[in-house]
Amino acid sequence: MVLKLYGDNISNLALRVAHVLTDKQVPFEYIKVDMIAGKHKSPEHAQRHPFGQIPYIDDDGLVLYESRAICKYIATKWRDQGVQLIPDPNDLEANALFDQALSIEQNNFEPITLNIMLELKYKPLRGEKTDEKFVESLIAKLEVKLNGYETILSKQKYLAGENLTLADIYHLAWGAVLIDELGVNSTIDEKRPHVARWFKNLSSLPGWLAVKNGLPYQEV
Amino acid sequence: MTLKVYGVLQATFTQRVLVVLKEKNVSYEFITVDWAGKTHKAPSYLLNHPFGQFPYIDDDGFILYESIAIMKYIALKYRDQGAPLLPDPGDLKATALMEQACSVEASNFNPFTTPIVIEKYGKPIRGVEPDEEVVKECVLGLDSKLDGYELILAKQRYLAGDSITIADLAHLPTGTIISRVGVTLLEDFTKRPNVTRWWREIYTRPSWQEVVASADAKI
Repeated sequence: MVLKLYGDNISNLALRVAHVLTDKQVPFEYIKVDMIAGKHKSPEHAQRHPFGQIPYIDDDGLVLYESRAICKYIATKWRDQGVQLIPDPNDLEANALFDQALSIEQNNFEPITLNIMLELKYKPLRGEKTDEKFVESLIAKLEVKLNGYETILSKQKYLAGENLTLADIYHLAWGAVLIDELGVNSTIDEKRPHVARWFKNLSSLPGWLAVKNGLPYQEV
Repeated sequence: MTLKVYGVLQATFTQRVLVVLKEKNVSYEFITVDWAGKTHKAPSYLLNHPFGQFPYIDDDGFILYESIAIMKYIALKYRDQGAPLLPDPGDLKATALMEQACSVEASNFNPFTTPIVIEKYGKPIRGVEPDEEVVKECVLGLDSKLDGYELILAKQRYLAGDSITIADLAHLPTGTIISRVGVTLLEDFTKRPNVTRWWREIYTRPSWQEVVASADAKI
């Protein structure tokens, strides 16, 4: 049975999963969960996703949520086709460095960039006032973190080593919005040439370009 | 050469690594990072940890940071001793469910518990006033997220299934501190009996009690 991805084009987390599905050449049906209509908060949805969020997948009965867990599952299950996005499963150290890179993104990049996005994009959409001071402090924190990235990326091409992995790709979900829509350009600032080179590279990945503006939904 | 752990016994992310080492009966040397002296911001430290944080490990020359990555590395390397803490790496579905549970902790627990730890535990140590507004918001947020945990734990014993994994253990350090500073959400039996059952089970594991005792003894 064809894999089903449940999401909404307004969420870059659904697009994150779509990017990986595209890279791994996995056919899928994209089913809309209308976030603006609040469908993700329905009791029916809670049966599949206890936190009332999107995306989630249904792979022939296996229901998975948390976009990063979904992406890792896809990249592992379809290891032998498409773009290689994870290290050799038998290489303990390479996998540890991969897990380290994944955690760097989830714990050092996402909390800051997600909050910048909430302040600068989602608050205005909901008619709320942006906390400018908070945004300033977040950008300052981001700059410090990116200095750490610069150290890493001056020694190796990608976050986990010499090869592109999921850990790099995950930065696009919020990172791209910051540049494309919000004028926060820290990730491509040439004062950190290695970070800038790395992020520009990510922004032009074919899999991302294929999904970044949204995908058509399955007719239900 | 013995595994070296660089961290602080009372620090939450250091404690995650320690509980796994104890579960797996792995010998290690503990080196305390002088956080007050800003050792972790020194250029020599940044060579090993570019973000100037702790913990990190040095396993016979292999340097690794990010607590969850360290937990996983130890659990995989020492698969054959102590509690499994991970499914069989060849089991795609079970591994995915564990990754899901680890991500749940990172997205739906830690963003609320760590700020409470900073405000009510970290700041007082440094003589700084806590921001009660932040605490209030985080308590509200956590309360809501724990309803999701209740749904999961009503159907299975632990977060990834019926065996304990690193995903469960990852909750222990911040969960313990928030309970100590008066946030009792994890033991509200009337409201969330399954969360309470799960929390009490993981909290009372001997490995965790040892970590807590070491942390308390050094104060």
